[in-house]
Amino acid sequence: MANVIMASSPKTLITSSASPTPKPKFNAPQLSLPKLAMPQFAKPQQLVSISTSISAIVAASLSMAPPSLAAEIEKAALFDFDATLPIMAAEFLILMVALDKIYYSPLGKFMDERDAAIKEKLSSVKDTSAEVKQLEEQAAAVMKAARAEISAALNKMKKETQLEVEQKIAEGRKKVEAELQEALANLEKQKEETIVALDAQIDALSNEIVKKVLPVS
Amino acid sequence: MNVLTNTLKGLYDVSGVEVGQHFYWKIGGFQVHGQVLITSWVVIAILLGSAALAVRNPQTIPTGGQNFFEYVLEYIRDISKTQIGEEYGPWVPFIGTMFLFIFVSNWSGALLPWKIIQLPHGELAAPTNDINTTVALALLTSTAYFYAGLTKRGLSYFGKYIQPTPILLPINILEDFTKPLSLSFRLFGNILADELVVVVLVSLVPSVIPIPVMFLGLFTSGIQALIFATLAAAYIGESMEGHH
Repeated sequence: MANVIMASSPKTLITSSASPTPKPKFNAPQLSLPKLAMPQFAKPQQLVSISTSISAIVAASLSMAPPSLAAEIEKAALFDFDATLPIMAAEFLILMVALDKIYYSPLGKFMDERDAAIKEKLSSVKDTSAEVKQLEEQAAAVMKAARAEISAALNKMKKETQLEVEQKIAEGRKKVEAELQEALANLEKQKEETIVALDAQIDALSNEIVKKVLPVS
Repeated sequence: MNVLTNTLKGLYDVSGVEVGQHFYWKIGGFQVHGQVLITSWVVIAILLGSAALAVRNPQTIPTGGQNFFEYVLEYIRDISKTQIGEEYGPWVPFIGTMFLFIFVSNWSGALLPWKIIQLPHGELAAPTNDINTTVALALLTSTAYFYAGLTKRGLSYFGKYIQPTPILLPINILEDFTKPLSLSFRLFGNILADELVVVVLVSLVPSVIPIPVMFLGLFTSGIQALIFATLAAAYIGESMEGHH
């Protein structure tokens, strides 16, 4: 990683030996490595101490890296345009055509057809809903008729039974009246009889009284 | 000291990120990046294979793979429709392939264990990790929107350069260069940076810590694919409808 970063910024490379600093304090001998990436300060003299410590640290860390890596450093070609570009464009176009043939077109057509079929079915369902309404109306009419019939029959029956009942009541009343008449007549007869009987008794009694009150002179 | 050197060397070997190192092939005198071509073939094979498998025998009531691919197609159609408008039909393959290719490329870089396969030089990674791929896609997008504008509106398409005022002519011309530039560099930078972050984190802390970053990488990869496809569709739609 460090190699790559180093390699991709070759312009700011200076060697640590170029800076007027004490030699870094480590035991390892001076390797070929210490090429350091240093920020370019405006006034290096003022920043000697900072640059010194930085260079010491970086040099130390680099000295610990395996020396073999230094040899393998290679210019990183991030923006390396070559024939890959047109090949990728061609690959993309081929992929586009192929995907269109096996994916977008067939599946899209299938989905559209299904949508159309579903819409058609839905609209046909709406039509049957009108039919259902008609049937419902019919059923309602039938129910109404049936109800009317039933209520008519009920009324009729009610009337009939009422008539019957009235007839029976009238009969009963007549019977009772007749019996009443009879009983009244009986009572009258008994009354007259009793009155006749009483008249006779009254006659006898008055005769007795007259006899008693008026002595035979 | 020696032990430390050895462990450090081991770390370098494990985490060796090879940025800008390519596996060069020579094809008819031209140099190409072999690792990009290999991974792009794998991505194309994945796309074509899964699509062919899922759409082979479409059912009225979709299940499994077909369901997923129908969802993806609806998604692509939705993107195209919102950006291009009612005449989006012919552009669905372009936008869809743009989205799917970038998406699968990005995710293949994050999910497929490319590093298992050793190359003599360079390493396998997402095809969108290479500037050639992203520039190719961006240039295709430019061509596409020019084509869309010219077929739809004829030569009056160039009238957009002096609208709303002729003063903006330089800026309008500049736009034709900045569009592919921003498209390609956005994708390239995001994917490369993402892979670098993951690799560096893995080399520093080889467990647990890089996992959230990996998920973030998956998220950004998807977002980048969506952004690229949406912008391509927006450019096409813009050149078709023109400035008013």
